[in-house]
Amino acid sequence: MTSQRHTFWFPALLALSLAAALTFLTVPVAAIFLDSSPSALIDSLGEPGALDALWLSLRTTAISIAIILCVGTPAAYLLATRSFPGKALVVTLVELPLVLPPAVAGIALLAAVGPAGILGGAIEGAGIELALTTAGVVVALTFVASPFYVRQAMAAFAAVDRTLLDASRTLGASEARGFVRVMIPSALPGLAAGTALALVRALGEFGATLMFAGSFQGITQTVPLAIYDRFSTQFDSALALSAVLVAVSAAILLSVKLVVGSEALGGAAR
Amino acid sequence: MLRVEAQTRLGALELEVALEVAAGTCLALAGPSGAGKTSVLRIVAGLVRPERGRVLAGGETWLDTERGIDVAPEARRCGYVFQEYALFPHLSAWQNVAYPLHGMRRAEKRERALALLRRFGLDALAEARPRTLSGGERQRVAVARALARSPGVLLLDEPLSALDARTRAGAARELGAVLEEVEVPSLLVTHDFSEAAQLGDRVGVIDAGRVVQEGSPSELAAEPRSAFVADFTGAIVLTGVAGAGPDGLTRVALDGGGEATSTDSAEGPVAVSVYPWEITIEPHQEAAHGSARNRLAAEVISVTTVGNRVRVGLAASQPLSAEITDASARALELRAGLRVTATWKATATRLLDL
Amino acid sequence: MRRALLALGLVAALAGGCGGDDDDTGGASAGGKPQLVVSAASSMTEALTACSKSYPDAELKLQFAGSDELAAQIRQGVKPDVFAAANTRLPDELHSEGLLSKPVVFATNEFVLAVPDDSDITGLDDLEATGVKIAIGSESVPIGEYTRESLARLSPAQEKAILANVRSNEPDVKGIVGKLTQGAADAGFVYVTDVNATDGALKAIELPAELEPNATYGAGVVEGAKEPKPAQAFVDGLVDGECADALKAAGFGAPPG
Repeated sequence: MTSQRHTFWFPALLALSLAAALTFLTVPVAAIFLDSSPSALIDSLGEPGALDALWLSLRTTAISIAIILCVGTPAAYLLATRSFPGKALVVTLVELPLVLPPAVAGIALLAAVGPAGILGGAIEGAGIELALTTAGVVVALTFVASPFYVRQAMAAFAAVDRTLLDASRTLGASEARGFVRVMIPSALPGLAAGTALALVRALGEFGATLMFAGSFQGITQTVPLAIYDRFSTQFDSALALSAVLVAVSAAILLSVKLVVGSEALGGAAR
Repeated sequence: MLRVEAQTRLGALELEVALEVAAGTCLALAGPSGAGKTSVLRIVAGLVRPERGRVLAGGETWLDTERGIDVAPEARRCGYVFQEYALFPHLSAWQNVAYPLHGMRRAEKRERALALLRRFGLDALAEARPRTLSGGERQRVAVARALARSPGVLLLDEPLSALDARTRAGAARELGAVLEEVEVPSLLVTHDFSEAAQLGDRVGVIDAGRVVQEGSPSELAAEPRSAFVADFTGAIVLTGVAGAGPDGLTRVALDGGGEATSTDSAEGPVAVSVYPWEITIEPHQEAAHGSARNRLAAEVISVTTVGNRVRVGLAASQPLSAEITDASARALELRAGLRVTATWKATATRLLDL
Repeated sequence: MRRALLALGLVAALAGGCGGDDDDTGGASAGGKPQLVVSAASSMTEALTACSKSYPDAELKLQFAGSDELAAQIRQGVKPDVFAAANTRLPDELHSEGLLSKPVVFATNEFVLAVPDDSDITGLDDLEATGVKIAIGSESVPIGEYTRESLARLSPAQEKAILANVRSNEPDVKGIVGKLTQGAADAGFVYVTDVNATDGALKAIELPAELEPNATYGAGVVEGAKEPKPAQAFVDGLVDGECADALKAAGFGAPPG
C-alpha cells in the first residue's frame, strides 16, 4: 500500500511543475495575440512608424549577422583547432558580452567607441559616425549577438573528427579548401544553431541600442525600441509589433530544427 | 620507389627508421601499438614533420630536412587509407571518391568515381551516404578514394582492423588483389603479423620506434632474429640456460624444469622458439619413437577447434601450445586435465638471445 | 513517506505564495513605518532620492521613468501608492478615469535648451544649421510634449528647421541627458533641474518667456493604494515639506499660486 503512494506523489508533482511552467511561459505569449482583435493588430502594423521599425530591424539584424558570420566563423575555427599561450583568456574575452546585461553592454560601447569614448576621437577622425546612426545600431547588435554564434561555432568545429581534415589534405585539398569543403558542412548543424541564437538576440536587442544609438524612427528605432515607444499610448501597435517579433523568432527556431533534423535524416531534404 | 628515413622523438618514443619499398610491391610494417607504425605513415604523407628525415617518392623529394624541403601534404601524391576510413559523412560514396579530382567538370568527375566504384563492386551504392554502408563497403570506398587520382604512393593504416572477423577474411583477399594490381609502392601498417604476412610482399617488424627485422614473411617466421620477433610471428617462446650437449647439439635447461635440445649453438640464458604446428602430442607414458629429440611432460589445459585443426593449450614447466588435426585430437581423446607428452624436433628449435 | 511530505510541503508553499495578494506592497515593515511605492517622473530622480533617505513618516520605494510609461502602468492595473508626473495632464486624465485622487500641483520646472559645457551653441538660432544633432523626448513623454509645444510657438520655418535636426526621441529625460554628456548629441531640450544634476557637464540656455511651456508637476494618491493616509501626507509634503525643500534645492520652482 505504501509503495503505491510513493509512485503517485512524485509523478503528480512532476506533472504539476510542468503545467505551471507551461502556463507561465505560454500565457504571456498567447496574450500578445489575444489581447486585441486581429484586424486592429494588422491595421496598426500598416502605420509608417511600425513599417519603418520592421524594415530597420530586418536590415540591421541582417547586416550584423553577416558580419558575425564572416568574422566569427574563421575566429571560432582558430579557437577550436589551435592552442596557443593565453588561449583560455582569449576565449573568455570572446564570450564576455554573453554574460553582460544589455545595459552594461550599452555603457561598454559608449565607453569604447562612443563620441566621448577611448576610441571616439580616432573614429571621428576617420569620418565615421556611430552614435545616433544606423551604423551604431549594427555595432550594438553585433556586439551583443556575436558571442552566441562564436561559442556554438567553436563547439561545432571542435566536435568534427580531425582525421577528416587529415584525409582532406592527403586528397589534395589545402587547409583552406578543407575548411570550406569538409569542416563547415560537418559543423553545419552547430553553426545553424549558433546563427539562430545570434539572430534572435540581435532582433530583440534593446538596452544597448537605446543607450548607444538612440531612438529615431527609420534610423535607429528598431522593433523593440518602437514597442517601448508605443506601449504607453499606442498599446495595440505595441502588441502588433510584439506579435511580429514572436512569429519571426518562432519561425527562426523552427527552421533551425528543420536544418538540424534534415542532417540527422541523412540529408534527404537537400 | 619509396624511400623513407626518419629520426625523431614522438612523446616518449624515439623513432628511427630507414625503409625502401619497390614500385608495385607492398611493405607491411607490423608491430605492437605504440611502436610508431602510424607515425611512419604520417611522415610519408607529410602530416607530421620529423626532426631529421628524408622522403623520396617516385623520383620526387617530398621531404629533406637537411635541405629544408618539406612539401605540403596536399601537394604530395599520396593515397592514404585511414584506420577508421575517414569518409566524409556529408558526401555520398561517389562524391567521396571524386573529392580528390580537380580540373574537370562535375560530370567527368562522377564518371571517374563511378568507374572506380564499379571496380570494387560498389556502383550500386554510389549515391549512399557512408553512415548507411557496412564496414566492408566503407573500407572499399576508402581504398577507391585513395586511388582516385592515381597516387604515387599508397599508404594503409590498419586497413582491416575495423572489420569484424567474418568480413575480414574476404576483405583481406580483395585488398591483396588490389595491392597486386597497384603499380606504385604500398606501405601498410598493422598490429597483426598474419595480416602483414598475407598482404605484404615484405614484412618489417617494428618495435619501440625501430625496425628490428625486415624480410619476406616466411623468412621472419623461420629465422626470427630475436625473441620479440619470434613471439610476434606466433612462435612459442620458452626461457632457459643453454650449454653444450651430446652429439654436438646444444642442451637447454628450461626454467622451471625439463630440457630441450637444439641444432642452434648458444650459451647462457636463451629464448627457445618453436612453432605450435611443429609440436606433436603423444599419449603419456608411451615410449619415445621417431626422431624427435625433445620430449616434455605436460597437462592439457584447453582444446580449441579452428576449422579442421585444433589448438591445444598445454602446461609443462612453462606454457606451450600445439596445433594438430581435429582427427588426431579425437583419436587421442584430448580433454582438459589429460596428461600427455609434447614432442618436437631439435632441428625445429631456434635459440635466440633473450 | 518523507518524499510525500516533501512534495506536500512544496505544493503548499506554491499555493500559499499564489494565494491572496493582500500582504505585499504597502504592508507595515518590521520597523513599524509604512512602505510607500512612489512612481515619479525621471526629472525628479535626484531630488526625491535625496529626501527619501531622511523621510520621517514612511519608507519610500521610488521608481523613476517617463511619466507616460508610469501612467500606462497604472492604467494596466499596477498600483503604486503615489503618482507624481512632470505635467498635470496625465494626473488629471487618471483622475477622470477614477484611477487617481484629485491631483495636487506641487512644483514647476524650467524648460531649457541644454548643451555640453564646452559647446559653441548659444541659442535656438544655432540649432537650425545643418549637421547639428538634437535629442528630444518622444511624443508621449511630458518633456517631449513640452518641447513640441514650445517649438510650435516659433515660426513654421524655424520649427521645421530645428525638428529636421532631431536625431533621437528618447523615452525620458535621462536618455536625453545621456546623449548630451556622451557627446552623441550637440543639444537637447530638458529641464533646468536635469542640467543642475549633471554638476557642470552641461550648461542650460534659457529660452525667451514666450517659449516657456510652463512645465507644471502634479501628483496624486492612486486609487486602491495600500496606505492612503501616509500617501496623501507624502503628496502634501511635495508642496510644503521635506521633499518640497529637496525639490527646491534641485532647482524646481514653487507651485503657482
